Amino acid sequence: MNVQRIRLVVQFISFVVLIYGGLFAIDLGNRLPTFACSYVPDHGGGCFLVGFQHMLSRPLPEFLGEQGIRLLKALGIAALWAIVINKAWCGWICPIGLLQDLLTRLRTWLSIDMSRFSWVARKRYKSVKYILLALLVLIPLGIGNGLISRDWTAPYCQLCPARPLLPLFRGDTTQFAINFFSLPTMALTGGAIVLVGLMFTTSFVKRRFLCSYCPMLAFLSLFDKVGLFSLKKDGSKCTRCGNCYRACPMEIREIEEEKGLKNLVTQDCILCLRCVEACPENRALEAQFAGFSFLKADAEAFLARQEAATGGKAAATKRRKK
Amino acid sequence: MMNEMPPEHMNPSGAEGGRKLSRQERLVNKVRLHLAMTVREIFEEVEKDELRPKAMAYFDDIFRKFMHNGEGVIKAAEDQKVIGTYCVFVPEEIVYAAGGYPVRLCAGAHDTSEIGEDFLPDVACPMVKSEMGFASMPILDFYQRCDMVALPASCHWKLKMGEMLEPFDDVHMLDVPRVKESEKARDYWLEEVKRFQKRVEKITGRKIRRKALRDAIRRIQRAQREVVRFQELRKHNPAPILGRDALEVLNAYFYDEVNDWTDALATLNDELEERIAQGIHVAPPRAARIMLTGSPMVFPNWKVPFVIEDLGGILVCDEFCTSQRYLSDMVSVDEGTMGDMLMAIAERYVLPCACPTFSNTIERRDRIARLVDEYQVEGVIYHVLKGCHPFDIELKIIEKLLQEKGVPMLKIETDYSPEDVEQLRTRIEAFQETLKGRN
Repeated sequence: MNVQRIRLVVQFISFVVLIYGGLFAIDLGNRLPTFACSYVPDHGGGCFLVGFQHMLSRPLPEFLGEQGIRLLKALGIAALWAIVINKAWCGWICPIGLLQDLLTRLRTWLSIDMSRFSWVARKRYKSVKYILLALLVLIPLGIGNGLISRDWTAPYCQLCPARPLLPLFRGDTTQFAINFFSLPTMALTGGAIVLVGLMFTTSFVKRRFLCSYCPMLAFLSLFDKVGLFSLKKDGSKCTRCGNCYRACPMEIREIEEEKGLKNLVTQDCILCLRCVEACPENRALEAQFAGFSFLKADAEAFLARQEAATGGKAAATKRRKK
Repeated sequence: MMNEMPPEHMNPSGAEGGRKLSRQERLVNKVRLHLAMTVREIFEEVEKDELRPKAMAYFDDIFRKFMHNGEGVIKAAEDQKVIGTYCVFVPEEIVYAAGGYPVRLCAGAHDTSEIGEDFLPDVACPMVKSEMGFASMPILDFYQRCDMVALPASCHWKLKMGEMLEPFDDVHMLDVPRVKESEKARDYWLEEVKRFQKRVEKITGRKIRRKALRDAIRRIQRAQREVVRFQELRKHNPAPILGRDALEVLNAYFYDEVNDWTDALATLNDELEERIAQGIHVAPPRAARIMLTGSPMVFPNWKVPFVIEDLGGILVCDEFCTSQRYLSDMVSVDEGTMGDMLMAIAERYVLPCACPTFSNTIERRDRIARLVDEYQVEGVIYHVLKGCHPFDIELKIIEKLLQEKGVPMLKIETDYSPEDVEQLRTRIEAFQETLKGRN
């Protein structure tokens, strides 16, 4: 079984459902914790951040009444999604994730080597996504209470690379533009275009570059401990060969270092399960859903995948025929 | 068989063609003769075993050639460059990808270890002494055939051996980081591997392309897959193959062309599978299941496994860098780009390696614990070559681990000389008796 191929198929289906779903009367609601952009015409599901930012842009006393309940309801639905699917949103559903993965495939096809952040740099930038998450709450509150100009409305939608990019798949180019209305809108919408550019260029250098800074990843990581998907490691079976770390697009070193029994869905994990596939030791890594183990590291599966990776299957049978 | 007799010209005493032989030549002839005798004795002993798998003949042939100057042991073509390697850190994938032929030179002959004392102190481990002996004198032809010798700075003996080898070989030192976990150590080691790659490319005159490297990785992976199968079969109780034969099979990988070796091992595996199905086994089900760990054993230094199995024990597995550690961890190709494959190669040789020259012991502890469980090991024999400090240093740690697991351990300290065989026999016999008592 090739999990990465299955994942790619799921990503494609998710992409089609989220971008074109509306055409088939699919509506997954507007509370999804993933970059299913609401600016896409006839989208099949929408990102919860749009509504969330608008709901937060109110004077504080309003939150004591009906507005507070509406906010809690929106958050509750998003949290529920986050608990049930936790990080699989990033690895299996997110359209921006898919686009980055496709560009990575293009890069390897062109045989361009990847590079990684140094360990220090990675550690330093880890907090960026949490700062962005904090600002995601603070800026709308500031707007609602007259501290920040209205031009900053829904700042994360203005800055999000999904907004200019994803509507293009429906032929809508209107979002792919810089809004010259005021300085803040120019900066934010200009930033979004820059991020799109970065996504395309960095994908030829690094894997999933944008994800490391994604505030949605920060939001989802709040549910790592309670999420139904988990990743278990049995350190006694581990040889610390480093295969998992090398395979990890998010460059998570804990996966290789951890020696004890532990849940390894860490803050940056996107549940792509590449580590489980790269692990050559039986049951050293295990992916579970609600305690039910659905993918285990397996020596034989590892061997089969390596055979495919080195183009061995055809060569092996050819040899035997000789 | 006639052709197993040492050739006539190996007469140690005398003249050849009327010319008086120099002292050096006489010494060479003497060592060749002794080596040939040792090899013959081993195979005389081995042939007594009527239950031996037939597929072993292929591996025997390789070692029988040690009686004839080692001619034909390696299968390098006339114009193919031969890269000699030591220890378990030299990436053979790179050698194969560049069109070279790797041969591992770690040695186990007693007579050459005596020659090695000209270079090294008495207390040096017999393995480096033996290697120096082979390198400095024309005893086995493939030592002389090497166009370059890659020597990892693993233990202190190997570290200093580089300079000693220089008069005889084109030496390429590989600096293996001792504290291997850190980022800088990994980067540095990757650079070392790339430096090795450049050097090999220069010697063979062939630049390594992506496809060639991928093919080389696949060839070695295929060999390792067969090893996985072999080791699985060895787990069977009662044992389908003697441990000493298994050591021979894995030792033969040092010299043989990887594809040929893999095919031979596949044939052996098929035979072992058949044996298990037919209920043929080489040791009774109640034979004490022994594991060997510690300093490596290289042909013809097989006295310990012979003693263990003569006494009715069965050597089910080992943790030697000449077999298990050498062939168990695999290169894991991920993206398949050149950089990815080189990094995968570099990491495979160092990160999971349980060599005691690294600072931590966790890899080795975990591995031994796993082997003990997987192979239902009842007793461990910890083999220390005199002068092999890294394994001696780790002894207490492993002893404690085995105590916790309730597995008895016997430490034996020996060298390549056959003198202490009887003493070893007494100690190993007593150890195996205590194992029987436990059941």
